[in-house]
Amino acid sequence: MNTRTSLSLSALGVVAFLLGWEAVARSGVVPAGLLPSPSAVPTAFLAEVQRGIWQKMVVASLSHYAVGLALGTFLGVAFGTAAALWRVWDAFQSWVVRMLRPIPAIAWIPFAIIWFGVSEGAASFLIALTVFWINYYASYSAVRGVDKDLIELGHAFGQGGLIPRLFKIILPGALPGILSGLRAGLGQGWMTVVAAELFGISGLGMRMMEASGLLATNIVVLYMVTIALLYGVSDFLFMQVQARVLSWQR
Amino acid sequence: MAAVIDLNGVSIGYGDSAPPVLVDVTLSVERGSFVAIVGPSGVGKSTLLRVVAGLHKARTGGVTIHQDQRPAHRPVGLVFQDARLLPWRKVVKNVQLGLEGLPISAADRLRRAEDALKLVRLDGYARRWPYELSGGQRQRVGIARAMAVDPDILLMDEPFGALDAITRNNLQDELRRIHRETGKTILFVTHDLEEAVHLADRIIVLGGTPARVVRDVKNDAGRDGAVFRDQVEKLRLEIADNYSI
Repeated sequence: MNTRTSLSLSALGVVAFLLGWEAVARSGVVPAGLLPSPSAVPTAFLAEVQRGIWQKMVVASLSHYAVGLALGTFLGVAFGTAAALWRVWDAFQSWVVRMLRPIPAIAWIPFAIIWFGVSEGAASFLIALTVFWINYYASYSAVRGVDKDLIELGHAFGQGGLIPRLFKIILPGALPGILSGLRAGLGQGWMTVVAAELFGISGLGMRMMEASGLLATNIVVLYMVTIALLYGVSDFLFMQVQARVLSWQR
Repeated sequence: MAAVIDLNGVSIGYGDSAPPVLVDVTLSVERGSFVAIVGPSGVGKSTLLRVVAGLHKARTGGVTIHQDQRPAHRPVGLVFQDARLLPWRKVVKNVQLGLEGLPISAADRLRRAEDALKLVRLDGYARRWPYELSGGQRQRVGIARAMAVDPDILLMDEPFGALDAITRNNLQDELRRIHRETGKTILFVTHDLEEAVHLADRIIVLGGTPARVVRDVKNDAGRDGAVFRDQVEKLRLEIADNYSI
C-alpha cells in the first residue's frame, strides 16, 4: 500500500468516526447533555478563543508538558543507561526501582502538592515522573541489547575507554530503542498533563474540570479534541525527526 | 628478518577453572610475512588472534609486539569474519574509527581513510551507508578500516568465511595484491586448508586436545596445480592425525 492510499484511508476513518458520532448524537438515543455532537465543538472553540481562554490553557499545558517531558526523558535515559552499564549500580538500585515502579504518577499528587504547592512545578513533576519510568526501562533494555561484537570492535580499534565506548558505540547502537521509549513517553506525558491539571493547576485539564462542573459538555469535548490534536502533532513531528536521525537504518 | 610479534608459551582457556583449549604456543612472525593458522573448529584459533589483539587475556605466556616508532599508528588492525561495520556510520566514517584518538588532524584522518578505501578499490563508496553494500564490499571496508591505522600486523579472523565462492576468490586475490603492494605482516586464521595454501607463505597447524602447534611449514606450493593439491592433502592428513574427540 502506498503512502497516499494509506493517508486517504486514515482520513476516511476519521470522517467515518465523526459522522457516526454525529448520527448517534442527533438521533436522540442519548440525551444531548450526555453526549454533545461534534458539530457543537466549533462553536465552543470560537467562544473559547474569543475569550482568550483556549490559547492560555494550551500555552500553560504545553509548558508543563515541555518541562516534564525534558526532565523525565533526560533523567530516565541517564539512569536507565547507567543501570545497564554498571552491574554494581544495577544491583544496588534494582529493588528500589521495583518498589517505586508500580506507583502511578497520580498517586504522587498529594506529595506533589505538599512539595510544590498547586503550581506549575507540581504538574511538571508528575509528568516527569511518568516519562521517567518509560524512558528508564526503554533505555535499560536498549543499552543491554547493544551488540557485544560492536563493543569488541570498539576495543580492537582503540575506542574502548568509557567516553568513546559510550558515545561512539553504545548510545548510537541503543538509539532506536531509546527513541521508541521517547515516543511512548510523548503519549503518556499528555495523559499525565490532564490528570495533573485536574486538581486545579491552570491548563487544559483544569478547564475541562471547570466545564464539566457546569455540564458544558461541548467545551469538555473541545479540550479532548485539543489534546488529541496536540498529541497528534507532537507525535508526527517526532516521527519526522526520528526518520531523519535513523536514516542509516534500511 | 626481524620479528614483528613473539608469542612465548601462550596458553588459552575460557573461564577460570575449565581446562585450557590451547597450550604452549611459542612462535615468532617475521616482518612482511603472510602466516596462516589452520586447525579444526574449537581449537582456539580465533581466540589466539584475540590474544594478539589484546582483546583476550592469555592464561599463561606472553605476547610481544615489536612496534616501530612511526607516529600515529596502532600496533594491530583486526578484520572480523562478519565485516562488523557500525551501521550508523557512512563507509568513510567507519574506516576512520581506529584513527580517532590518534594525534592527527581531521583532514589527515579523512585522507588516510580515503587512501585505505582506494587500496581496497572502494573509492567512490565513501558516502554510502553500510546497508547499501554487498557482503564482499562490506568485508573490503573492514580491511580498509584495519589498514587505515597503518598497523604493524594485520590480523584476520576467517575474513572470507561467510562469503560466496566467487566473492571469496576475488577477495583472496585482492588480499594477495594488498600484501604485495604494502608489505604488511599478516596473520590469517582459517579452517579452509586450500585458502591457507593459496594465500600464505607459512602455515601453522593447530591440533590435539588440548591443542598445540603440530606443524609449522613453509609454503611455496604455488596457487594451483599438482604441488598445490599435494600440499593441501598433506596438511589435511596432518590435521586428521591430530584430531581426537
